[in-house]
Amino acid sequence: MSLLTVEGLKISTDGRALVSDLSFAVGAGERMGLIGESGSGKSLTAMAITGLLPRNISARGSITLDGQQVIGAPERNLGQLRGSATAVIFQEPLTALDPLTRLGRQIEEPLRRRYRRDGLDPKTVKHEVLALMERVALPQPERIAAAYPYEVSGGQRQRVAIAMALACRPKLLIADEPTTALDVTTQAEILKLLDSLVRDLGMALLFISHDLPVVANVVDRLTVLRNGKAVEQGPVRDVLGAPKNPYTKTLVEAARAFDQALGRTP
Amino acid sequence: MSAIAAAPVRRSRRSWLFAIGLILVGINVAVALLTLVWLPYDPSSTAGGRLEAPSLLHWAGTDRLGRDLFTQIMIGSRIALMVGAGAVAIGAAIGVTLGVLSAFATRLLDDAFAAAFDILIAFPTLLLAMLVVAASDTASLGSAILALGIAISAIVARLTRILAKRVIGMDYITAARTSGTSWPQIVIKHVLPNIWPTLLVNFALQFGLAVIAEASLSYLGLGAPPPNASWGRLLQEAQGTVYTAPFGAIAPGLALLILVIGINLSADGLRDIGDPTRRGSR
Ligand SMILES: Nc1ncnc2c1ncn2[C@@H]1O[C@H](COP(=O)(O)OP(=O)(O)OP(=O)(O)O)[C@@H](O)[C@H]1O
Ligand SMILES: [Mg+2]
Repeated sequence: MSLLTVEGLKISTDGRALVSDLSFAVGAGERMGLIGESGSGKSLTAMAITGLLPRNISARGSITLDGQQVIGAPERNLGQLRGSATAVIFQEPLTALDPLTRLGRQIEEPLRRRYRRDGLDPKTVKHEVLALMERVALPQPERIAAAYPYEVSGGQRQRVAIAMALACRPKLLIADEPTTALDVTTQAEILKLLDSLVRDLGMALLFISHDLPVVANVVDRLTVLRNGKAVEQGPVRDVLGAPKNPYTKTLVEAARAFDQALGRTP
Repeated sequence: MSAIAAAPVRRSRRSWLFAIGLILVGINVAVALLTLVWLPYDPSSTAGGRLEAPSLLHWAGTDRLGRDLFTQIMIGSRIALMVGAGAVAIGAAIGVTLGVLSAFATRLLDDAFAAAFDILIAFPTLLLAMLVVAASDTASLGSAILALGIAISAIVARLTRILAKRVIGMDYITAARTSGTSWPQIVIKHVLPNIWPTLLVNFALQFGLAVIAEASLSYLGLGAPPPNASWGRLLQEAQGTVYTAPFGAIAPGLALLILVIGINLSADGLRDIGDPTRRGSR
């Protein structure tokens, strides 16, 4: 059975459907890309998987995560799934970090929870924080651990956020446009980092983006969302090579034209 | 250019004012502590002449009965600090708890809380305090503190609710939730630390207002009975002789002014300390 199975997911607010009849599955260690334009329902899908939709939004259908049904599950069960089954990296690393807590402490918090969960020795937590920071290639871990979010760069913040997600050792890492807020060079570095981490730690990845070239390099399979509906699904090669849906075609053509334009510049 | 040049100047002036505020409050605390072990005169001794002007023997003069005014002002400083600290402690404990609960409650419950806070705040503090004092049989320091604490709790609750709701809507709370942080942990680790600086400033301001409100209650004869003379009672007693012996009113008034200014300057300074982005000379 897959690690994550979404079946006939319908997300709505006040009778208005935001996501309808969405189905996909992500197996252990697999990488799935969720792509679609702004407002197509990507983030809502991610929040539905963690059981953290805003109060005014409701989900129907079925989401099974690590063998447990998420939709309609009591808060106690969801709390256990969060962190152990999934962790999320967000688009905006500045607002996703607590402005008044030192970065080291922010990594320590989920780490301590995992240590308690797995019965590990809490004395090694501080050391593991620095090890995690090195793992995500943060320079001078000691200095950054003592810094506040506003004192480090955007790329460094996103690395801290990734370290926080890694601290959970989730089976499925959800990355919701993790590079959109970063400049192109930093974006490439973070993508490379995510790619190697997911590979080394054997995590599954749900990578959300509106940027086809970005997703295509990181994932094995793609789900294309439009207006809350999946319009195309399949291995990256098939979707890029022979897009069936007209919307996917325009996406692929745009990406190709962009590549060519880049290739032609002297 | 001017904004950049002005910033350090403003900051250094602010830290000066903060220092002055702390000194003024510090003097009051020192005097209040001193009264516990030493007083220049027995507060009930009427040995001095009546309504004497300030002199080397009686620094603030004497009252109608010949009691030393400076002694009474010193005692008043202890009363003022006790009332301020007590009322703010009660107000903070009730207010922060209710405010946080309200911020996390369901929509319906939250609306009910918010309405209750608003009604309580619309009630004039003094009127509320008078009701509480009237409800307890005798006017005592305790009932005044309780009354002001309740009034403050409504203001603190409303502020806490608004601040907490804003923090709860932030991405970093959602981020913490996705990694499995429970609500109580969210409150302790993220919500309270992020609203604390603003609350602390408000506590300081409420402290100043409580001191003034207690003086008003005492002035109306609803405060602590003698010998716990508060500055408000001194002002009231000096009322009849304000033209012949003005210092009887000026001295306690001045003491009240000094403490409240000190508290307000300290409150402004606290605002800067609580925010790491404003700390230091960056
Ligand atoms: N709290 C909410 N209440 C009502 N509607 C919402 C809420 N959050 C999102 N929506 C709506 O749901 C739709 C999908 O939103 P979602 O955030 O999932 O889009 P997205 O695909 O992540 O877009 P983006 O690429 O801009 O992040 C949007 O039309 C949005 O307006
Ligand atoms: Mg989104």
